[in-house]
Amino acid sequence: MARVKEDLAVVGKNWARLDGADKVTGRSLFADDVRLPGMLYAKVVRSPHAHARILDIDISKAAAVPGVKAIITPEDGKDIWIGMNQPLLPPDGIVKYVGHEVVAIAATSERIAARAAELVEIEYETLPSLSDPRDAIKEGAIQLHEKGEGNVGWEVNLDHGDPDKVFAECDVIREDEFITNASHNCYAEYHVCVCDFSQAGKLVVYTPTQTAILFQKALAAAFEMEDSDVRMLTLNTGGGFTGRTSVRPHHFIAALLSRKAGRPVRLRSAGDEEFIMCRAGGKVYYKLRSGATKDGKLKVIEADLLFDNGAYIESQMIVTTLTSKYLHVLYPLEASRYRGRLAYTNHLPYYFHHGGGLAQMQFALGQHMDALAHDLGMDSVEFSLLNGVEEGYTTADGTTTYYSCGLKECIEKTAELAGWKDKYGKLPKYKGIGIGIGAMASGAKGVFKHDTSAAMIQVNPDGKASLFIGLPDMGQSSHTTMAIIAAEVLGIAPTDIKVVSGDTDTDPFDVGAFTQRGTFTTGNATKNAALDARGQLAVWAAGQLECDEDDLVWRNHEVYAKDNPDEKLRFRDVADQTLNCMEGRFVMGRGFYNSPIKAGSMAFSFGAQIAEVTVDPSTGVVTVDKMTASHDVGRAINPRIVEGQMDGQIFSGMSQVLYEETIMEDGQVMNPSRLDYKMPRAYEMPEVDHIIVETIDPNGPFGAKEVGEGPIVCTMQAIANAVTNAIGARITEMPLSPWRVVKAIKD
Amino acid sequence: MAKQIITLTVNGDEHELAVAPYQTLLEVLRDELDLIGTKRGCTAGSCGVCTVNGEQGEAVLSCCTLAVDWNGRSVTTVEGVQEGTELHPIQKKFLEHGAVQCGFCTPGLVMSAKALLDVNTSPTERDINEAMAGAICRCTGHIKVKIAIREAAKALREREGAG
Repeated sequence: MARVKEDLAVVGKNWARLDGADKVTGRSLFADDVRLPGMLYAKVVRSPHAHARILDIDISKAAAVPGVKAIITPEDGKDIWIGMNQPLLPPDGIVKYVGHEVVAIAATSERIAARAAELVEIEYETLPSLSDPRDAIKEGAIQLHEKGEGNVGWEVNLDHGDPDKVFAECDVIREDEFITNASHNCYAEYHVCVCDFSQAGKLVVYTPTQTAILFQKALAAAFEMEDSDVRMLTLNTGGGFTGRTSVRPHHFIAALLSRKAGRPVRLRSAGDEEFIMCRAGGKVYYKLRSGATKDGKLKVIEADLLFDNGAYIESQMIVTTLTSKYLHVLYPLEASRYRGRLAYTNHLPYYFHHGGGLAQMQFALGQHMDALAHDLGMDSVEFSLLNGVEEGYTTADGTTTYYSCGLKECIEKTAELAGWKDKYGKLPKYKGIGIGIGAMASGAKGVFKHDTSAAMIQVNPDGKASLFIGLPDMGQSSHTTMAIIAAEVLGIAPTDIKVVSGDTDTDPFDVGAFTQRGTFTTGNATKNAALDARGQLAVWAAGQLECDEDDLVWRNHEVYAKDNPDEKLRFRDVADQTLNCMEGRFVMGRGFYNSPIKAGSMAFSFGAQIAEVTVDPSTGVVTVDKMTASHDVGRAINPRIVEGQMDGQIFSGMSQVLYEETIMEDGQVMNPSRLDYKMPRAYEMPEVDHIIVETIDPNGPFGAKEVGEGPIVCTMQAIANAVTNAIGARITEMPLSPWRVVKAIKD
Repeated sequence: MAKQIITLTVNGDEHELAVAPYQTLLEVLRDELDLIGTKRGCTAGSCGVCTVNGEQGEAVLSCCTLAVDWNGRSVTTVEGVQEGTELHPIQKKFLEHGAVQCGFCTPGLVMSAKALLDVNTSPTERDINEAMAGAICRCTGHIKVKIAIREAAKALREREGAG
């Protein structure tokens, strides 16, 4: 496809984030910094048992503590549902996981609330529990829910073509099994929510979020209010990592306590509670089978995934859909078969891992493909170049066409920069090199019928502008990205633009910052808003320059006719004269974007990463020496921010594949702190070489796609493949903890 | 438990405060003095977001420090780093080099970096890694943070040379 060559003045340069000065000086506010008059502090009393019947709850001693202002028990939470099937507090008297919320207290200080919580007396009768999804689906296992036979709460089966027939035509067939473990999203900012429900029928909520709109809708539905009577105030969000996409019990509990006390309430997880209440991704068992012809052509993949769902169905339902479609995004297959099952256990309900379940599946699938390539006598780079997707490909479900695709460019450039040919198969023992490849959607329909973002831009007579958007910025610099896009259109600087966002009373509609939709979707809306504003400014400017409005060039704070660049108007004079004339034209641009397709995504990004590792055979410790990472972002709106997104995801991917595991024993989290739950520190981080590939997508704003979650999909498989290359054995369970590495070397 | 009167100098300002023996320095800074630039993280010394600088400029985990132990001493918080209306070179370089993302851990990172660079403007890679070992930053993966610290060290050396 022909790409329009654009000469850009603002897009593609490195811009410091607009909110950066506030963040380095401590002026930035987060929900934990909110101080409201009369605010109370909450503490939740949780079940210590994985499965138990509540026989009695006695709150009398807690209620007598001076300073306690409100207590809620399961009775107060009835009729409030979370996700698919979880009652907020157990109205049937059955707790189904350790940490299950039973009672909550609001008091005049955190210490008083905590002391009162200790005085709540709950009598339990423990019940047999399930901790392994493989046991849960066995015949004769206890049933955790009336619905969901055999404890399978949700199942997705998706076939394309005739997999049995295609397998019969294959020369080489390979089967592998993998396991990925439960992890925590580990945002720096702990779970926190401040609710003010002291005015009847009006709920004000301060909480970190990736989507204020979905939180607003869920809270309004729970309390039988109109959406607009719930006001979501997002200050800053201290990290998202796919973990702040839906409301959790603490949001509802803070609201209930506030309503009962008639005062604002802050609920924040404390210490190890953060790990007990965190609902990231659960353990997944993968059975993979694939077939190829002897010349290396991949024809068919079959995947059977069994998820530890936890006690109630939550976002992992979405993960089954995402993983089912993922089989076809990297390889054009003749056929495929997918089965994904969510098995109920007595673990807390699981949501998303960082990487949305796709990075975790690629830990399995990427290694499976690496092994298949090996069986075929090829290396993974050759195999991926032979089998990878290209521009113009349409996914098997017919929803998504790749209008741009830099997968092979990513693989080639990464292999060249990393020196793959000189290293693969030629490294000394215990040194290894491995590649991972990935693809990621930029926005998708599914949450709503549409996938809409809106934006407004007000141009002031001083030539500056205010941009109103509803897209949260949880660190990915999306607000600055939007300012860059608007500035490019208007011919001003991003620093001339104030981004106004974080209040559902004033924000334009935006589904939120997930499915990597921000840059693509809100970016298109912002571009459209800026074009609308520019059109309003063009009336006066074109009259002044005696040219067509469409022939105006907007650049470097100036406006001129394209065939008469010598006669220039200052942008601020155009803005000033447009308003301060007899007609008084106030400039307010509006823009929307909703992808024109029925389902799926308008654009996919692609990437490849090569990891180089050293394994210490005596301790099993894996050191990542170097990562070479490429990403096809379509267009890098702000290149240093693109690199930063890649860095963070390499960190998280490396952290998950080597260290992170929420260790569960009889339903208990055994390592609930950031000392016991290992993540890399500065000294463990490798050098990273970045390769930004720009395929200029025809539908993205200035050609941009995403970099929000694409890179992490490549990291885990690249490191795992490198470890296999180093030790000559494959470790099929993530994380590759030292004991697993030592065991693999010994075996 | 009876409160005790302590004297605490924060960013050069002396405060007389009545604090309970169990109150941490973090609580006193945030809840008594409204210095909420210092963030509350794990409150167990494992994440580093509450880092402030002590009397000798050393990095101190304010969540693990009792306020009464700090009686008569001084402390610098992130609010005290800026030089007049200008950002400190560490803050400038964090901003320029993309070492800031969500910003929650940033005050702690800035204070850890300052504890290092106040005494050593020619840090080795190992010095930087050790100084930052108490911090967790999932957003940046520490990569651009380390670049920013190296660049800040350079800027501070140049300033020393000029001075």
